[in-house]
Amino acid sequence: MLIAASPVPLSFPGGRDLVGILPELVLGGAFLMLMVLDLVIPPSKRTWLAGFALFGIAATFGVVVWAWFDANPGRLVYSGSFAYDRFALFVDAILLVSAGLVVMISPNYLNRRGIHYGEYYALILAATIGMMLLAGATSLMVIFLAIELLSIALYILSGFSRHEERSQEAALKYLLLGGFASGFLLFGMALIYGETGHTQLAQIAAAIQSQTTVTVDPLLLAGVLLLFIGFAFKVSAAPFHSWTPDVYQGAPTSVTTFMSVTTKVAAFAALVRVFTYTFDGGGTHFYQHWEPVVALVAITSMVVGNIAALTQTSVKRMLAYSGIAQAGYILIGVAVGPVLLPSGQSSSFGTIGVLYYLAAYAVTNIGAFAVITIMAGRGEDLDSYEGLRGLAHRRPFVAASMALFLFSLGGFPPTAGFFGKFLVFTAAINAGQVPLALWGIATSVVSAFYYLRVGLLMYQRPAAGAEEYRWSRTGFAGSAVLVATTAGTLILGVMIVLVYTAASASLKGLIV
Amino acid sequence: MNHIPWLTLLIVIPAGAAILLQLIPRRLTGAVKGFTIFATLAVAVIVTLLLLWMPGNKASNGPIPLHFEETHAWLPAINATYHLGIDGISAWLLALNAGVFLLGALAISRKTTDRLRFYCTLVLLTEAATTGVLLSIDLLLFYMFWEGMLVPLYVLLSNWGGDKRGPATIKFIVYTVAGSLLMLVAIIYLYVQSPSGSFDLESILASPISSGTAFVIPIIHLTTFTPKELAFICFALAFAIKIPIVPLHTWLPDLYESAPPAVLVFFAGIVSKLGAYGFIRFALTLFPGEMEKYRFVLAGFAVLSIIYGALMALSERDLKRIVAYASISHLGFIALGIFSLTTNGINGAVIQIVNHGIIISALFLIVGFVEARTGTRDLGELSGLERRMPWLYFFFLVASLASLGMPGMNSFVGEFTIMLGAFQLNWVYAVLAGGGVILAAWYMLRLHQGLMHDPPKPRTEGVRDLRFGEGLLLVPLVALMIFIGLFPKPITDVSNGSVNTTVSLIQPAASNSGTQ
Repeated sequence: MLIAASPVPLSFPGGRDLVGILPELVLGGAFLMLMVLDLVIPPSKRTWLAGFALFGIAATFGVVVWAWFDANPGRLVYSGSFAYDRFALFVDAILLVSAGLVVMISPNYLNRRGIHYGEYYALILAATIGMMLLAGATSLMVIFLAIELLSIALYILSGFSRHEERSQEAALKYLLLGGFASGFLLFGMALIYGETGHTQLAQIAAAIQSQTTVTVDPLLLAGVLLLFIGFAFKVSAAPFHSWTPDVYQGAPTSVTTFMSVTTKVAAFAALVRVFTYTFDGGGTHFYQHWEPVVALVAITSMVVGNIAALTQTSVKRMLAYSGIAQAGYILIGVAVGPVLLPSGQSSSFGTIGVLYYLAAYAVTNIGAFAVITIMAGRGEDLDSYEGLRGLAHRRPFVAASMALFLFSLGGFPPTAGFFGKFLVFTAAINAGQVPLALWGIATSVVSAFYYLRVGLLMYQRPAAGAEEYRWSRTGFAGSAVLVATTAGTLILGVMIVLVYTAASASLKGLIV
Repeated sequence: MNHIPWLTLLIVIPAGAAILLQLIPRRLTGAVKGFTIFATLAVAVIVTLLLLWMPGNKASNGPIPLHFEETHAWLPAINATYHLGIDGISAWLLALNAGVFLLGALAISRKTTDRLRFYCTLVLLTEAATTGVLLSIDLLLFYMFWEGMLVPLYVLLSNWGGDKRGPATIKFIVYTVAGSLLMLVAIIYLYVQSPSGSFDLESILASPISSGTAFVIPIIHLTTFTPKELAFICFALAFAIKIPIVPLHTWLPDLYESAPPAVLVFFAGIVSKLGAYGFIRFALTLFPGEMEKYRFVLAGFAVLSIIYGALMALSERDLKRIVAYASISHLGFIALGIFSLTTNGINGAVIQIVNHGIIISALFLIVGFVEARTGTRDLGELSGLERRMPWLYFFFLVASLASLGMPGMNSFVGEFTIMLGAFQLNWVYAVLAGGGVILAAWYMLRLHQGLMHDPPKPRTEGVRDLRFGEGLLLVPLVALMIFIGLFPKPITDVSNGSVNTTVSLIQPAASNSGTQ
């Protein structure tokens, strides 16, 4: 069934449209200035570039805070292809905080690795802009453009240590598999456009709702599932995860810190907007057709990620597999997001769970990766488990915060990770999907093994005669990042009402 | 009383002290230890004051008669409340909690404890968590403290103690996490099913939850459990692992063997009692019908714990492992009292929780003193301490007599009351549990004779008796063993009302299930 595309009246970007993308514009301005500054600033003073990037991120964050109050109610801008709503702004805030923390730990690390080039900060900002666009995109075209923008920046960043083979390998692998995934994404979009005649989410949703419940258009469903595969690749959910460990391990650690968190955040934001709020199908219960697939991918991710993490001996790979597992937990929230309760009301528990989990994951995972970024010695990464042995005896506070992050990743209260898991499990049980929650529980028990094993190692003394890893100094910026992430992990674990209320308000404001 | 949030203070004082401790320079070990003692003492003083006020403070009319209560909104969106309360049962556990942590703080050895400030921080954080467990009336809050307790405990147990502490700690954590995550699912299930849509125990109890239809396995048409029964099983598993009840006990001997004595004072003293408390507070109130239905099975496992623990205690040679298995046996008694579902049994369990906390703390302190002096815990290498350490001999004699249930000592009161309850359940259980008491006399006397009376061996040559301070730690414990043995009434006076209310929840449920 092909619906003739009706011409959409084009409007010139007026003031209201520009306001809608103000955060992206400000960050874009900072990006351009950074490119110019890089040309005039001497190589020895490149830390200034980090300062400027941080300033740009902070200014954008200020704009986001202002926009939070302005975008109530939100609106669609640029002829319905971008949403200026609280949902996007909530996600923007997580992205900006993450990017800011990463920029803070970068200069020292890059200097020690001898790869301190100015493009680094520009690329981080470019990727962040792409992610912010993805969070607000309400048109298939914008979604694709945003994903390409963020991906290309990340391809370059993962190969940033260009004299190192592992980094090059990571970049190449990421590029090839990323291109492959983009193909899925585009093919899915093409099928959806072919079946509905629209690229804008609102009209696609209307087209789905106009279908009868009895027969489902197989091509449309194929398009939806292909689109999901594209996203699943970006959030590194199993079985589309094979690139993750290699890329995370090969890329410079500061880049891994950045992309392990922000890519997931942005892609999950898009998943929520596209799947939970567009492909739910309203009264037609269209979601029943794709929801089992999402649930299956969630279970696969939890099982594969947690089991594979057990056997790792590299911290970066362990955290990569842990990230795959975490993607599985967050997917539970997506899978049960649009479910109608027996009472007839639809529940936003799952989606709030996704948002809370993302915030918790961002602060925790950045903290954990920040520790191995900051502690990395001169000219090498801190990668093997042995490198962490005895850390607690030399750096008790760094080790204690790392232990806290590991507990949070494992989902222990009173840390952020607990409430993330709690909310998605509650959503699953609330939706009657108890088995999904039980899979989550079973794999969580497994995860306790490997998180605690790393924790144990930090508190052990090195074997007699064995050399200790030469950890770097924490430095002022490093300490600030660790204090911020530690505090964030605890605050999100105890005073849940703050972020919960914001997440819930952002969902109320979500427009498609 | 009126405007001071005493209950919150009980949690905030240790937690805040843990933070303030970081301001004291690391090398001032005396100040660090002094501050820790001060904080735990402050908690103990408040608990004592609350206990004294308690009879004058009329209990609330809710499903759980709370004498003290604090309620604040915590996460209104999902009806999770910050609801703390004390009733007659938790009051005694709080007293025990404050006591064993004070003792644990006093027992810290400044000379031999590496990284003292960090150690004290973790002890205080553990106290904040266990106090929270005992005070929480909201299920989610309870879970937060219950699981959060593992964080300081993990760091504590993995940093200090014997060589095998790493694997033993992970075993303990993974066991506990498996149980408590299942309980989390059950908590969420109750929340979703409860008409009140709340995590607050009192709100959930106010409106009954339907047990749902039982799952039927297709083809063979085997009717299995109802969803509510499954939720009950999840709760029971979590608590049974913590107590622990045989066959879920395997983490305990390894952990007790490798943990330092000063940690064991509060670990064995209160942490393992929290499982028993959980059964009384949550499993009994939320699932009276299910408890009634499975009481014979549960009591069977409790009796198995009594006998198995006693037999293993007889066969071990390591002092700590003997005490660990003896502890399993005694905890089996507590569990049996609870599962008898009678006023006697549960009252006895409450008394015995307190008693066992006192006795096990004393025993682990004594084992610690012996090990510190002789460098071994092997019963084969130790003997003749009677002549070398007359004071230790005296304290150990009282503690072992109390432990084996000598009339006139505290354990006798508790175990006797529990046996009364067990008889009301079924005489077979009571007779088997009585066998456990006989075995207890056997293994305690074997331990006592081997350690004290046989001719001295090389290891015990030239061993010095307890110092004054060490003896002083044991004096209050021994005094309590005798005092409670002679005057148990104050404990039952306080707990009786709450126990009666809890048992009355079971009776109507039993009659309901009988008619269906």
